[in-house]
Amino acid sequence: MKRMTTLILTGLLLLAPALQAAEQPAAAQEAVRDEEVIKRLAVMGKYLRSLKVMAVQADTTTEDVMDNGQKLQFTGSVEYLVQIPDRLRLEVKNDRHYRVYTYDGKALTQFSPGLGYYATMEMREPVGRMVLQVKEKYDLELPLADLFLWGTDKADTTGIKEAVFIGLEQVDDHESEHFAFREDGIDWQIWIRPGDQPLPDRLVITTTDDPTQPSYNANLKWNLSPQLKEADFSFVPPKGAMKIDIVAVDSAVKQ
Amino acid sequence: MQTAIHHFQKSRLGAAALAVLFLVAVFLPAVTFARNVNVNRNVNVNRNVSHRNVNVNRNVNVNRNVHVNTRRHVDVDVHHGYHHDYHPIATAAAVTATVAVTAAVVGSIVSTVPPSCSSVQVGTVVYQQCGSTWYQPQYYGSSVQYIVVNPPR
Repeated sequence: MKRMTTLILTGLLLLAPALQAAEQPAAAQEAVRDEEVIKRLAVMGKYLRSLKVMAVQADTTTEDVMDNGQKLQFTGSVEYLVQIPDRLRLEVKNDRHYRVYTYDGKALTQFSPGLGYYATMEMREPVGRMVLQVKEKYDLELPLADLFLWGTDKADTTGIKEAVFIGLEQVDDHESEHFAFREDGIDWQIWIRPGDQPLPDRLVITTTDDPTQPSYNANLKWNLSPQLKEADFSFVPPKGAMKIDIVAVDSAVKQ
Repeated sequence: MQTAIHHFQKSRLGAAALAVLFLVAVFLPAVTFARNVNVNRNVNVNRNVSHRNVNVNRNVNVNRNVHVNTRRHVDVDVHHGYHHDYHPIATAAAVTATVAVTAAVVGSIVSTVPPSCSSVQVGTVVYQQCGSTWYQPQYYGSSVQYIVVNPPR
């Protein structure tokens, strides 16, 4: 009898971790959405929208997924020159991709220096609306476009399911506050500079609805008093450059 | 301003350790139970470009799995994701524009042309001529793709 009791007790002891493990997922699903963190995002957005000119340089890491599921990593850079309301220059560079964009308030031109092809998209919008329109109309995604959406009604925070403050961390020569967010299909992290210039120092975006969970990483460097010239925003086709079409996605679908 | 922030940080320091534990607990299951999603941006984009005398049908003879350089994400970038109407930030919906083709059927699309092709301009239109096959380059988003077209001359 005594032996039987021991057996049962041992059995229970062995079971205990399993039971505990079974309970864990339920506990993990409890979402934390810290309103203080959401507020920090709003403060950053408001500050970004107060800037009239900016030069942003970002070192980026992009993960691409091959059809066999293997994840590849590419490093690159993104360089923005922006003059509010409607001037923008953007250079996107990595080992497989080099594009120069110029926006003069009348048209956005996409140019590939490697191929010599350029396409122009007529557009008369402030920068924040322009980045949305080219996405909608041409399926053209400008990197870090969020920089122009935060602080506007387009940066809806209701989709944020979880928001937490992770801690103070070193980014380049200063400390920055690390925040983590979860939404449907993406997890993202942002490092925001404390003090009276709440700029994003770093951004990491992880796609969670892809089994391989590729991430995009950008380390940003800011210059808030860049020397800008009108020529930065206008496109003059270099010798040998050729104009091609860009597919309008919405009209293509309607036909 | 400074004081408020420091106060905010202090009150968060204890929470940070918890948050890290919490994140670990949350992320692990998410990784384990990865969902299967087929994201395909190029399907169902049919165009009839009559002014070019080309009937473009993007779904002809398109085989996505031929080349190693087929990438699901061509330039993975960021974006909106904060609004349910938008595609999630960046990478999420970014899909290949790299489409391999089994034959040079008019209307089919490729992401690269053979190295032996030459650039030819007819009128205002730019082509890549590769032997008897003619391609017309166009941008789709930030990617260049080439449509097989009828010889312009």
